[in-house]
Amino acid sequence: MIDATCPNCGAAVHFRTPALPVKICDYCRTTLVRSGEVLQAMGKVAEVPEDVSPLQIGTRGKDGTGFELIGRIRMRWSGGGWNEWLALFDDGSTGWLSEAMGRFMLLRAMPYAGFRTDAVRQVRDDEPIALGAEATIDGVKYRVNDVKDATFAGSEGELPFSTPADTPIRSVDLMAPGGECASIQKDRGEVSVYAGRYVTLAEITATNVRAFDGWPLPSFAA
Amino acid sequence: MTAPLNTVRALTCPNCGGTIALRAAGNTVSIICEHCGTTLDATSPDLAPIAQAQAAMQRPEIALGTRGSLRGVQWEVVGYLERSDSYVTWAEYLLFNPYEGYAFLVDDGRRFSLGVLLTQLPGYTGGSITVDDVGYTRFGSRYGAWVKFVVGEFYWRVAVGEHVLITDFVRPGTMLSCEESDDERTWTKLDLLDFGEAETAFGIRKRRKSYGGTPAPHEPSPYGNVMKEALIIGVVALVTLMVIMLMGGQSAQIASETFDVPLDGVTKTQVIRQIDLPARLSAVRIAARADRIDNGWVDLDYSLVNRATQESFDAYATAEEYHGVTDGESWREGDRTPGVKLSSIPAGQYDLVVEATGHLWSNTTFPTAFAGSAGDTTPVTIAVARGGLFIGNFFLAFFVLLLWPAIIVLLHLGFEQRRMAPVTEDDE
Repeated sequence: MIDATCPNCGAAVHFRTPALPVKICDYCRTTLVRSGEVLQAMGKVAEVPEDVSPLQIGTRGKDGTGFELIGRIRMRWSGGGWNEWLALFDDGSTGWLSEAMGRFMLLRAMPYAGFRTDAVRQVRDDEPIALGAEATIDGVKYRVNDVKDATFAGSEGELPFSTPADTPIRSVDLMAPGGECASIQKDRGEVSVYAGRYVTLAEITATNVRAFDGWPLPSFAA
Repeated sequence: MTAPLNTVRALTCPNCGGTIALRAAGNTVSIICEHCGTTLDATSPDLAPIAQAQAAMQRPEIALGTRGSLRGVQWEVVGYLERSDSYVTWAEYLLFNPYEGYAFLVDDGRRFSLGVLLTQLPGYTGGSITVDDVGYTRFGSRYGAWVKFVVGEFYWRVAVGEHVLITDFVRPGTMLSCEESDDERTWTKLDLLDFGEAETAFGIRKRRKSYGGTPAPHEPSPYGNVMKEALIIGVVALVTLMVIMLMGGQSAQIASETFDVPLDGVTKTQVIRQIDLPARLSAVRIAARADRIDNGWVDLDYSLVNRATQESFDAYATAEEYHGVTDGESWREGDRTPGVKLSSIPAGQYDLVVEATGHLWSNTTFPTAFAGSAGDTTPVTIAVARGGLFIGNFFLAFFVLLLWPAIIVLLHLGFEQRRMAPVTEDDE
């Protein structure tokens, strides 16, 4: 835990892990970028619009080791939006719980995987990608099922990178017969590959989920 | 912890001013006002109208906002659309639960199916496709379907006229539906719900339970299980029948007599006495044996006469044997040991009257004479046995036992034919 003060509004700022350089101030929504002991304000980001996501900052889950959601990015594209929740695992590593259309993908960054596959190269070179195209990432054969051009619509909590509005992001989702899924993202010239699988909240035994009026909490979360 | 949030948010339609509900904020992309039918962009802050109503307003049978529990999960109806291929129209309800996401309740007018989007790609093995190692068979060819009517909220940009290509794959009780549009291919797994299940869950009038008309492509034959049962019972009954007939049919010899029959055409009458048939009804087998007959025949007329009532049961047999050489080939034919059966003989004491007439056939003088010289005889043994397997009875029982399974099989085939009819017509 690193404690600091927001250079913009003076509110207390807590960093859960030294591995993540970015935190959105809970009070003034300023993007704070930490380098060493120095906190730098990088402009404000939009608040994530109210939605009926069952997840929130502080929701815990389990994928082998336990994790807690400590950050969120709201993405927007012409067909709607989705949430990327940053999960901090108990072993200090991070992953993403991607939430779209009521479905969840639990993904981990694959730093060196898949860079030789065509789909990754096409994302890097801004070439068109065909739906259904095959892509092998980390030994798993996927098919492209979704290509979206998106922007950051808002964010909160701790994040590995800043999320300035109007940043163009290309996001490609992939699926496999075994229930594995993957995502290729190009953000400010940099291509990242994530891989994992579709999960349900029951499978990750999500706790500290949001309560909704009139909806019983699922048994695993109660 | 913050206070529990209400998932429903009240909005005002910018077109008609009516109050509409937003039930899945963050997911919902399109809202179609339930009052005026205008399509609104839920991703724009001011609910910008996108399209005017294109069809007369309708009320779905299950009202928007209705909650119901299906298979352990509570769902809220958030959207309703009607789709059609060029033959039939069906309805789809979009269901939402904040913890479970979305599901589809598909209503073909007769039965409901509950659908979820697959989060995995199906595999292909040998012409059929598999999901979780379960195989599905393709049902017909790919067909186009379009949206005819829509109201409520959706997580995609829905529009009347929206066109997709659908390919269905089925197994009893489940259908996999592949929908392709220009920029997306989705797989939905639809489980057929029991009669009344969805109606009870969402509080609408129950549909009549009926297996007539055109079944759903993934509708399991209602006769399938009965058919299996009927076939199993039929086979068990047949095996039992065989065992009983073989055991009960073991014949017990009750009389046997050997006598000489003259071969000169003169009838010899022999009476075998004291044939006792204690069972209410008995089968009687009369076996003749004329081993030494040689180019001749013995006609045997049997009369089984009840001593008390003089009732007579008659039968006839011929023991014969011929041989010779024709065109250098030697031949031999005839049955020296003919048997006859009498069935359903009432209980009682019987005498068997045998009238035996022997003839010799002289092959050396053929065709001049059937002859025999006086004094030539052949010994004939007549054995009377009780019981015995009656193949005629067996077949009768066989058909009676298989009648029920056969009816069920026909019903099942009829159902399957009607289920496949939409596809079969396609092929013509």
